[in-house]
Amino acid sequence: MTYYALLFLAGFAGSFHCIGMCGGFACALGPDPRGAGATSVRHVLYNTGRLTTYCFLGTLAGGLGQAICTSLGLRSQPGAPFLSASLDAGQRALAVMAGLLMIIMALSFFGLRGRRRATNSFGGSTLVISLRSLLRTPGYAAPLAFGVLNGFLPCPLVYAMVAQAASTVDVLSGCLTMAVFGLGTFPAMLAMGGLGRLLAPTWRQRGVRLAGGFILALGLVTLSRGVLPMAAGHGMHHLWHFT
Amino acid sequence: MTPAPDALCRHCLLPVGRRGFARTVNGEGCQFCCYGCCIAHQVKSGSGDASEAAWFLVRLGVGSFLSMNIMLFSLLVYSGAFNGADRRVLPTIQLLLFGLATPALLILGEPFLRETWVQARHGRLTSSALIVLGSLAAYVYSTLAVFQGGGHLYFDTASMVLMLFTLGRYLEAAGRARASRDLAPLLAAESELATVVEGAQEQRRPVREVRAGMLIRVRPGERIPIDGVIVEGRSHTDEAVITGESRQIAKSVGACVLAGSINLDGPLLIRSSGSGGESRWAQICRSVRDALRQSSRTQRIADRLVGAFVPIVLALAGITLLYWVQHLPFDQAMLTALSVLVVACPCAVGLAAPMAHSLGIGQLARHGCLVRSPGALEALAGARLIAFDKTGTLTLGRPHLVDVVLDGVGEDEVLARLAGLERHSEHGLGRAIVLAAVARGLAPIATENVQIVPGRGLRGVVHGESVAAGSAALMCELGWQLPPALSERAEAMTSTGHSVVFVGWSEPARAGRARAALSFDDTPLPEAAATIDALRSLGLRVTLLSGDHAGAAARVAATVGVDEWQAGLLPEAKRAALDQYRERHGAIAMVGDGLNDGPGLACADVGIAVGSATDLARETADLVLPADGLWLLPWVVGRARAVRSTILANLAWAFGYNLIALTCAAIGLLQPILAAAVMAGSSLLVVLNSLRLERLPGPSYPVALQSSAAVQGRRRKLALLRAAP
Repeated sequence: MTYYALLFLAGFAGSFHCIGMCGGFACALGPDPRGAGATSVRHVLYNTGRLTTYCFLGTLAGGLGQAICTSLGLRSQPGAPFLSASLDAGQRALAVMAGLLMIIMALSFFGLRGRRRATNSFGGSTLVISLRSLLRTPGYAAPLAFGVLNGFLPCPLVYAMVAQAASTVDVLSGCLTMAVFGLGTFPAMLAMGGLGRLLAPTWRQRGVRLAGGFILALGLVTLSRGVLPMAAGHGMHHLWHFT
Repeated sequence: MTPAPDALCRHCLLPVGRRGFARTVNGEGCQFCCYGCCIAHQVKSGSGDASEAAWFLVRLGVGSFLSMNIMLFSLLVYSGAFNGADRRVLPTIQLLLFGLATPALLILGEPFLRETWVQARHGRLTSSALIVLGSLAAYVYSTLAVFQGGGHLYFDTASMVLMLFTLGRYLEAAGRARASRDLAPLLAAESELATVVEGAQEQRRPVREVRAGMLIRVRPGERIPIDGVIVEGRSHTDEAVITGESRQIAKSVGACVLAGSINLDGPLLIRSSGSGGESRWAQICRSVRDALRQSSRTQRIADRLVGAFVPIVLALAGITLLYWVQHLPFDQAMLTALSVLVVACPCAVGLAAPMAHSLGIGQLARHGCLVRSPGALEALAGARLIAFDKTGTLTLGRPHLVDVVLDGVGEDEVLARLAGLERHSEHGLGRAIVLAAVARGLAPIATENVQIVPGRGLRGVVHGESVAAGSAALMCELGWQLPPALSERAEAMTSTGHSVVFVGWSEPARAGRARAALSFDDTPLPEAAATIDALRSLGLRVTLLSGDHAGAAARVAATVGVDEWQAGLLPEAKRAALDQYRERHGAIAMVGDGLNDGPGLACADVGIAVGSATDLARETADLVLPADGLWLLPWVVGRARAVRSTILANLAWAFGYNLIALTCAAIGLLQPILAAAVMAGSSLLVVLNSLRLERLPGPSYPVALQSSAAVQGRRRKLALLRAAP
C-alpha cells in the first residue's frame, strides 16, 4: 500500500502544478446557476472524466508492458509489480526506462530543462482550442466530455505516471496506478472548482517543486528496481516498508 | 440536402467532393467535405453560447468516456484479472460492457451511418461503409454472445474503431484547415461584409451589394472590402494580399486603397470606386476558388483508385472470412476479416494531393503569385525547359532614349519639338521621348494638326511649318533629304538592336530634311540575369523566343545570359517553336507578359504571365506572377517541385502502407483496434507530411542585387516608371 500512498501523494502535490493549466479550466467550468448541488455534480463529472482518461492510459500502458514482457517470454509473477522480489530482464528494462523518464520529467519540474512547448505544438493547440468551446455548454454531458478530453492534454506529470504504469507490467496494476494518482489530484481540483480562484503563485511554485520531489523519488526507486541486483531490490522493498 | 460537388468545404477550403454534406451552423448553411471538417468548423466558429459545435465535442467526449471504460474493462478481462476467485462477476461485467457499448455505438457511429446511407442512396460505397460494417459486425456478434452465453466479447473493438476514426477525421480536418490558412484572406472577398454609411445610418451589407460611390466605414484592424478613395481619416494599410509584399503604407485623405488590404491603425471612411464584385481582390478570390475546385491528373487517378478500392476491400474481407473460418473459431475469423475492413480505409489516399495543392496555392498566393489550377503546379514541377518572351518579360517593356545623332541643330530643340509631336502618341517610343524631355526640363513645343502615319511615324505643324518623326521611309515619303551621316549612324545603331527614329522639319521657304536620329533601347530587368542563372541551377534549360529583330534579341540574350534564342517570330512561329522544343525536351513552360503572347502561353504546358494580374479574367496563363515578380520564378519552380514530391511521397506512403497493413490484416497479424489506430495514424502522417511544406523558406530577392544600393535605387525608379500612366 505504501506504493499507492506515494502515488496518491504525488498526485496531490502534483495537482498544484495542474492548477496552472487545468485549474484554469476548472474555474472556467464555473458554478452552475441551479445551485451548489448542481455545481458539485458538474465538477465531480469533470474530474470523473479526467480520471477515466488516466485509468485508460494506465491500463493501456500496463497492458503494453505486459504484452512486451509476455511476448519476450520473460514474465514472472503478474499482479505483484512492486513488491515482487524476483524481477526478470524484461521488467528490469522497462523499469529502467520508466525510471529515467520520470527523473527527466522531475528535473523539468525543478526548471532544469527548457520550458516544454508541447501545448504550442499542433496536437496540443488543436486540443486546447477544441476544449474552450465546451466550457460554457450547459448540461451534465459537457463537463464529462470536457474532463475526458482534458485528460489527454500534454502534461509531464501524466507522462511520468504512465511510464510508471508501464513498468508495473500488468493491466490491473497499471490501471490502479493511474487511478490512485488521479484520485490524488481530486482534492485540489475540486477545491479549485469550489473556491473559484487561483492559488497564489508562490504556493503553486512550491507545489510544483514538491511534485517534482515525489516524482524524482518514484523515478529513483523505479530505476533502482531495474539496476540493483535482486538482493538489493529485496532490501529496497524492506526499506520501503519502514519508511 | 446534398451540396454541389464543386463547392469548397467551409472549413478546410478543399473541394467538397462526393463525400461532402451540408449542415447549418449558427443559422448559416455550410458545406463540408467530411465529418471531421464539420466538427472542426463548429468547434472553431461556434464560440459562445450552446452551439452545435460544443455538441459535437460533447459527443466525442462522452463517446470516448464510454469506449475508454469499455476498453478498460475488456483489457482487465483479457488480462485475466477476473480469472481467479472473481469469476462470478464476469456475467455482470459483460452486461455492463453491453450497457456501455450500446450508447457508445449510437453516439459515435451515427455520423458514419448517415454518410453511408446518403452515399448508398446515390449508389456509391464509401469508406464509411467499411467502418460501419466493421463495428456493427463486432457489436452484433458480442451482443449475441452476451445473451446466449459463451464466446468472447468484442465491444471494445466496435467502439474503439469508431472512436479512433472519429478522432482521426477530426485531427485530419484540423490539419487541413491549417494548410488552408494562407488561402482564407484570399477567399474572404466573397463572404466579407462592408459597413455602408447612408446618412446617419450604418449598415452591414455583403460586399457584392456595394456599388460605386457608396461610403464605406472601415475600423482599425478590419480588412478594406472595396477599392476606393479615402474621404475621411488617416491610417496605415498592409496590401500583402494583393501585392504579396507585407509592409505598412501610410494613407490619408485622397489616397487610393485596395480591397483586401488591412486597415492597421486608424478609422477610415472610403468612397467606393467600383462595385464590390469587381475589385482585384474579388477577381483573385474567384481565380483561387476556381483553382481549388479543379483537380489535377494525379488527384483524379487517386480518386478513381479510391472509388474502386471499397468494393475490392469488401470482397477481400469476405474471402478472408471464408478462408479463416475453416481453420479458426468463427469469432477469430470474423476479427481477422474486420481488421481487413478497417485497415483498408483509403482516407489517406484521398487526402494525398488536395492538401499539398491547397498549401502550395496558398503560399504562392501569399506572395502575389496566382495559380489557375493544381495541374499547373504539377506541370511546372515537371517542366524541363522554360521559354521567355523578351519585351516586357526580360526587359522593362519601355524603351528609353540612349543616343541622339545631330545634323546641325541643338539636341534640346530636337527633343522639344519631338516631345510636342509625340505628346499625341500612344506609342512606347513616344512616351520615352516625352519622359526624356521632361527629365531635361524642356517644355514641349505646341504642335497642331498632328497625324499618325501608320507604321511610319507622326507628322504635324509648328508655326506653319511641318515637322515629322519616324522611320527613314517616312522621310522618303515626305521627299525630305536624309543626310548620309545620319543614315550611316542609324544603320549602325539598328544592327546592334536599337530602335531608331528620325526627326526632321521644314524651314520657311525651304524643303524639310531629317535633322537628327535618335536611338532607343529596351532595358533588361536588373533581376533577369540572376533569375535565369537560378533557373539554370535548378536544372532547367532556358531559351528566348522574341518577336523582335535578331539584333535586339541577341543583345538581350547576351545581357541576361541566355545562350539559345530565336528572333523575329510571329505568334504562329512561336507556337511552332514551342512544339519543336516539346518534342526535343519534354514538358515546357512559357513566360510572357500575358498581353501579346497569349497564344504562346496557351500552347505551352504551363503558361506563366508576369505582371498582369489585373486582367485575370482574360488571361490564358496558368500561373500569374505579380508585376516586378520575375525574380520569384525560381522560388515558384522550387515550390511546385516540393508540392509534387510531397504528393508523390504521400501517395507512395498511403498506398504502400495500405497494402502492407492489408496483407498483415488478411494473414491475421493485426487486431482490428490496432488496425483502426494504424489507419488514423496513416492519415495523420499524410497531413503532417503535407504540412512540412509550410516550413520551406519564402522567396528572397537575389543577394547580388540586394547588396548594391545603386541597383536598388534603379529598381525603385523602374517601378516608378512602370507606375507612370
